[in-house]
Amino acid sequence: MDPIDPSRAVAALARDKAHVDLKTVDLCFLAALHLRAGKTGLASFDEDALFDLFEQACDVVEPGADNPRTRATHAVRRLREQRFLARVDGAGLVRAGEYALTRLAAAVVEFFLAEETLTRESLTLLTGTLRAQLAQVLAAARKADGADAWRLDVVGPLDVTVRDLVSGIERRQRGLDAQQEEVRAEITALLGADWFAAIERCQALLESTTATLNELNGVLLRDSHHFVALLQEIAALAGAAEEASAEDAAHRVVEHVDRIAAWGAARQRAWSEYYQSVHRFLRDVVRLDADRALSRRLRDQIAAWPSKPFHLLAARAPSIVLLRAPEARAERPAVARPRSDREAPPEATAATDAAADLEAAVRRALADGASTLAEATRRVLAEVPAPARYAAAGEVAALAVRLAAPTSACDRPWVDVAPRLEIEDWTDLGPESRE
Amino acid sequence: MNDAPFSGLEAVVADDRFPEVDLQLRRGRHIGREDGLAYEFVADAQPFLEELYRRYGCELVRQSDGYFYLLPSNDRLGRRRLTVGEMLVGQTAALLYLDPATLQHHGVVARDAILQRLAALIGADALVRAFHPRKRRVDERVAAEAVRGQTAEALRRLADLGFVDSVDDAHVRLRPALLRFAEPVRGVQDRLAALEKLVARGEAAFGDEPADEEPRAEDEPAS
Repeated sequence: MDPIDPSRAVAALARDKAHVDLKTVDLCFLAALHLRAGKTGLASFDEDALFDLFEQACDVVEPGADNPRTRATHAVRRLREQRFLARVDGAGLVRAGEYALTRLAAAVVEFFLAEETLTRESLTLLTGTLRAQLAQVLAAARKADGADAWRLDVVGPLDVTVRDLVSGIERRQRGLDAQQEEVRAEITALLGADWFAAIERCQALLESTTATLNELNGVLLRDSHHFVALLQEIAALAGAAEEASAEDAAHRVVEHVDRIAAWGAARQRAWSEYYQSVHRFLRDVVRLDADRALSRRLRDQIAAWPSKPFHLLAARAPSIVLLRAPEARAERPAVARPRSDREAPPEATAATDAAADLEAAVRRALADGASTLAEATRRVLAEVPAPARYAAAGEVAALAVRLAAPTSACDRPWVDVAPRLEIEDWTDLGPESRE
Repeated sequence: MNDAPFSGLEAVVADDRFPEVDLQLRRGRHIGREDGLAYEFVADAQPFLEELYRRYGCELVRQSDGYFYLLPSNDRLGRRRLTVGEMLVGQTAALLYLDPATLQHHGVVARDAILQRLAALIGADALVRAFHPRKRRVDERVAAEAVRGQTAEALRRLADLGFVDSVDDAHVRLRPALLRFAEPVRGVQDRLAALEKLVARGEAAFGDEPADEEPRAEDEPAS
């Protein structure tokens, strides 16, 4: 049998959107079916029996619920969809159906109903059966003279009977784990409720669980050693006969047995720690504070602490100072710029006065006979760079007003004076008439 | 045949466990039964170690709850008072240690549970004021973040001192040494009187935490 790849198995479950949704009434209904089947030996139930049992379960869970028949119909549909119930008659619409619990339903109900906890009796019985079974398999392995004999008498029993027995022990171990959790919760509850008065009962619980664990661990240690020896002998015989499947089956069971033995040791260690901490708690806290006043007083102390603080003192030795080994330090010069005369000598440059230049140009244009503003402006702008022409045109107009007292018609014409520049023209510019 | 584990101080100092235990005690750590070999060593060598540390002006204290610690009576070895955060968190952890519900989980509690319990005991506002005594107005979100940070820091220091063990990022295991925080209220007498006795013995100090007492520089002895 190939081992299941966990990641593929999980991916397959996710892909199929597998889920289970059981309400209490559903679980009670399934349990009622399971118990009835066990009691009467019925393999399947007709619809009437199914509905009767559902109504009984419904009466317990929700007494006085409306429409139990309708609810039964929905419950049966729900359980069939989730593969808890299967219709087994195959008659379709022809007649009412027959239903049986599936393996899934049986497992779920058994989990809730069974009290499978490992006890010395159950463990001794299981290990005894397992030992006998392994002895049989070993005898069969010694006699096996062909592939069929190995498959039927060795691989089959190892894969089914032996593994079921080992799984039975493991299942009961999980039951014991749950029981230990309950014991811990019970001890907590007992102390919470009765405090000092609960000491005796807590100790009794601790002692009984400890004794059980010790016994079980002893049996497990002794028997698992024996099982492993038998299984290794079977594996060695299979190896000699070149029966790989039988050898693998034996190794798988060995791993299973090792896991069981490891469980015993781990649980005993964990329980031992818990046992000690509870005893310490009972001795140092509960016995010394019989009326449970310490917690109350400590609560008061914490509440009052911000207004009346105090601080515990603790030792704090200084760390040892480690002196560094002496080292010759090179004198590093300070960071500086090289000295130089950064003062540049003054240069002679021609003084420029744009306003005076412009005025001189206007005067020149007027003196040369420019009689209109457009003409004077055109002459002046010819000497001005293109970006400054727009501003210069305004300056020229202002100077023309000041120097030549122009006249203007009511409807002044627009005249080009430079590329992409027009002005409203004035006439009768006399040479410097106003000054 | 001599049953005593050590014949004298020389044998104690020659033991392999001595350097580590000595350093831990001098750094203020509480060594408890959970420390296994270290605890066994201190218990076996107690008479010799007491004599040794007495010469440094320190008392090796053994509590009936099952832990040792070094209590300096002067500044020869250096000492410090626990901070506000350590005191508040330590007392709350001690309260949780006394709760049977903690016992069910082997003394392991969530770090958040300690802060939650502390806030419930003294109130969120008082907690913020305790951590920020000099600030008049603190933004609620910033204050909450700072309280969480200081609580985490306090737990880290309490772990260094052997009051708790850090299990993972979310949990700590409470140790019996936490009962030191409950010392003022363990007896039937008045809390203040008990506290005065502890102060007189040099176990505790009254008053607000001085600004320069924050244990940042490990090698500065308290004044």
